Amino acid sequence: MRFLNRKLTKRITVLLFTILSFAFSGFSLHEQDIHLQGDRNDNQQAQRKNLPEGSGFSSTNVKQDAGEMPVYGHWKSFTKKDGLPADKAFCVRIDGDRVLVGTSAGLAVYEDGKWHTYTTEDGLAYNSILSIDVSELTGDVWIGTMGGLTRWSAGSFYTFTQFNSGLANDVIYSVICDGKDVWVATAGGAGHYDTYADQWEIYMQNNAPMHEPWTYGVCAGGGKIFIAAWGGGVIEYNTSTKKFRDYVDPDGQMELDVFPDDGLVHDITTGVSWADGVLWVGTYFGLSWYDGAHWKGYFDKDSGLLSNFINFVKADGQVGWICTDKGLSSFDGKTWVNYQKNENHDGGKVLVTHGKDTKTYPSPTSFANNFILGVDFQGDEIWVATSKGVSRGERIK
Amino acid sequence: MKTILKWLMFSFLLLFPVFQLTGQEKKKNYGNTPDEIVPYKRFQKAYLNFFDTIQPFTGPGREKAPPANLSEVRIGFLGPLAGSVMVPQGKQMLNGAALAIEEANKGGGYHGIPFKLMVHNDVGLWGAAANKVVEMNDEGVWAFLGTIDGTNSHVALRMTLKLEIPMINTGDPDPTLTETRIPWLIRVISDDRQSSYALAEYIYHIKGLSRAAVVRVDNRYGRVGITEFREASLRMGHPLVLEVRYAEGDTVFTKQIQRITDASPDAIVLWGNAKEAGVLIKQIRAAGIKLPIFGSDRLMSPELLKIAGKDAEGLVTTCQYNPKLDDPKLKAFQKHYYDRFGIEPDVFAAHAYDGMNIIIAAIRKAGLNRYRIRDALTDMKTFQGYHGVTGKIIFDPSWNDIGSIWMTEVRDGKYIFFHSPLDTLVVK
Repeated sequence: MRFLNRKLTKRITVLLFTILSFAFSGFSLHEQDIHLQGDRNDNQQAQRKNLPEGSGFSSTNVKQDAGEMPVYGHWKSFTKKDGLPADKAFCVRIDGDRVLVGTSAGLAVYEDGKWHTYTTEDGLAYNSILSIDVSELTGDVWIGTMGGLTRWSAGSFYTFTQFNSGLANDVIYSVICDGKDVWVATAGGAGHYDTYADQWEIYMQNNAPMHEPWTYGVCAGGGKIFIAAWGGGVIEYNTSTKKFRDYVDPDGQMELDVFPDDGLVHDITTGVSWADGVLWVGTYFGLSWYDGAHWKGYFDKDSGLLSNFINFVKADGQVGWICTDKGLSSFDGKTWVNYQKNENHDGGKVLVTHGKDTKTYPSPTSFANNFILGVDFQGDEIWVATSKGVSRGERIK
Repeated sequence: MKTILKWLMFSFLLLFPVFQLTGQEKKKNYGNTPDEIVPYKRFQKAYLNFFDTIQPFTGPGREKAPPANLSEVRIGFLGPLAGSVMVPQGKQMLNGAALAIEEANKGGGYHGIPFKLMVHNDVGLWGAAANKVVEMNDEGVWAFLGTIDGTNSHVALRMTLKLEIPMINTGDPDPTLTETRIPWLIRVISDDRQSSYALAEYIYHIKGLSRAAVVRVDNRYGRVGITEFREASLRMGHPLVLEVRYAEGDTVFTKQIQRITDASPDAIVLWGNAKEAGVLIKQIRAAGIKLPIFGSDRLMSPELLKIAGKDAEGLVTTCQYNPKLDDPKLKAFQKHYYDRFGIEPDVFAAHAYDGMNIIIAAIRKAGLNRYRIRDALTDMKTFQGYHGVTGKIIFDPSWNDIGSIWMTEVRDGKYIFFHSPLDTLVVK
């Protein structure tokens, strides 16, 4: 009986090991099914959940960690209480010593430490301002509003609308100046205004490789104009050859991205910016980077990017500034430096990410809100437009 | 014996998670996509599925106090009311929305303050929908309902994020509308993805056909609508043998019919508005083509029956709800609607009625704060499974309505409704 029991025990043990081997192989098979590149994501996620804290907002520590990347701190915010016409700041643009802020209730101009407001009563097309640019050629300020395009020249305001010009639509999401030319991204197509010839051209699906006429952003660089076409990716216009080409998400699907580095991460593009031969593209699904030959896709799950929901992008030299709904990200291709405000007090944190390693540095000050809509630079200062005010930070040296 | 028991216990504990895994509910594919037609499934796992999670709105605004001394609570309406081929549908949509407002006001409005509909036409100047949303913002609406045309819906949608106004779409089946990730929109009508999958399943699997020819209208409804059907056909192993277009308002379809004949299909699929489709069906039959004809949701229309007459017999379409259901809520709506407007409600009226009732309920729950209204609309709890006159509304993580879609067949001059084959294929 004892012998039988021993024999039985042995057999059951062998059987159990066999079952367990199958079970474990099932687990490993299941794991293998996950995309290889997913491994780095999981590691990244884990790293970010257990962020090793830095030793306070020491400029030495942050700067050392950030390397070549610029780091900003000593934030000061301005809201309605400080003289802004509204807390909601859609955009910010530096004009020499002046800071121009487009708010939901007019244009705010910061000069000599004081805010001045301009509204429809002064000649603005509409009080909600989505975009501002300054002509290097003339110094004119071009203001894209929700009710037309305003040119502020020599102290006078002049407005272009669908009724009095070749403007495609009165909602101007983005305006830029490129020499004598002004380009706009509107709700009804992209527009080009030749200020010398006083002539407008409209580009939409009938005369450009756009899937739809809706445009969201526009930038100039390298002899080209890049248009963020909502649902149509990025449209490139060569100013020499006058020819268009488009860049879209190669997988053709709205609900997924098959490969992150095969092209645009998504066709719903929200902003474009070009500098130093690199095009940065913001979407509500992640960030795309293009150097003219290679595309790279960045997501919050596999990089330092704070959020896939990108409101605005701005390239400044080799650094891309990404305005998200969860804070401000900056990236030079190697290092991420991110800024987030603490929801419960005026302070915040700076996160520096190299590869899979992230360090967090508490900051006693931060910007007004994490919903970032615009960014620009004035010497060693950074200005950030947020949903709850505009903020200024100083570069840490 | 004790050793055996210990081993058994140990093994059971180890194996338990495996049993648990296999016992878990099968994960739904995005958009209720049948397994067979999930994009790239046979070749590559997607790096990212964007709608596995819900996009939050992280901006400020929930702290804003409600305004004092309001005399009315304004809700916007955006639809084709003049200058469009969709005006009849736009007016039905307006009627449905207006009926919901009238009933809500009879029920006390918002704490005694009446609701008021701020009505806007979405056709006019190029891109007018964006300008209209700006106007509605100036009017101080708390949310708005609209619209039918895919282009106008998209143009309006982009403004909702900038202006932070909740938007409910009840008439545009363009699948891409909710795939933009703007967390200020919900849709309470099944989209063309659901229509396409239902048609593809029915044509290829139920009817056993394999060579479909598509004739579609050359506008966004036709172009975007057919995309999912084209891709589903391909993935099922039945690439379309023909896709040919016609312009809105066309009355002669000789060229398209010749192309159909040349392609030798075994099924014809029409994607367009009822008016042109009715004429097209007549001309297809007049040419002696007896192939089965299938169509998109807009072909389920009295207008089509009137134009095509007996040639419409056998036409199979999709429809976003079943007006013949024996549902007391639906019957009451149909009676009140007829009493109020003297006509039968169509699919746009019924969905607008549901959509407006959802807006009203959200305002009543959240108070006069757009951000909180948005939260109520998108929390996936308050209105998940909402039982409206159009049936049960089920939102996916993109806030798209993936509730049941129905099918119809014209028999003896009437649309006969039946369940879509998707109902048995997908996890609801």
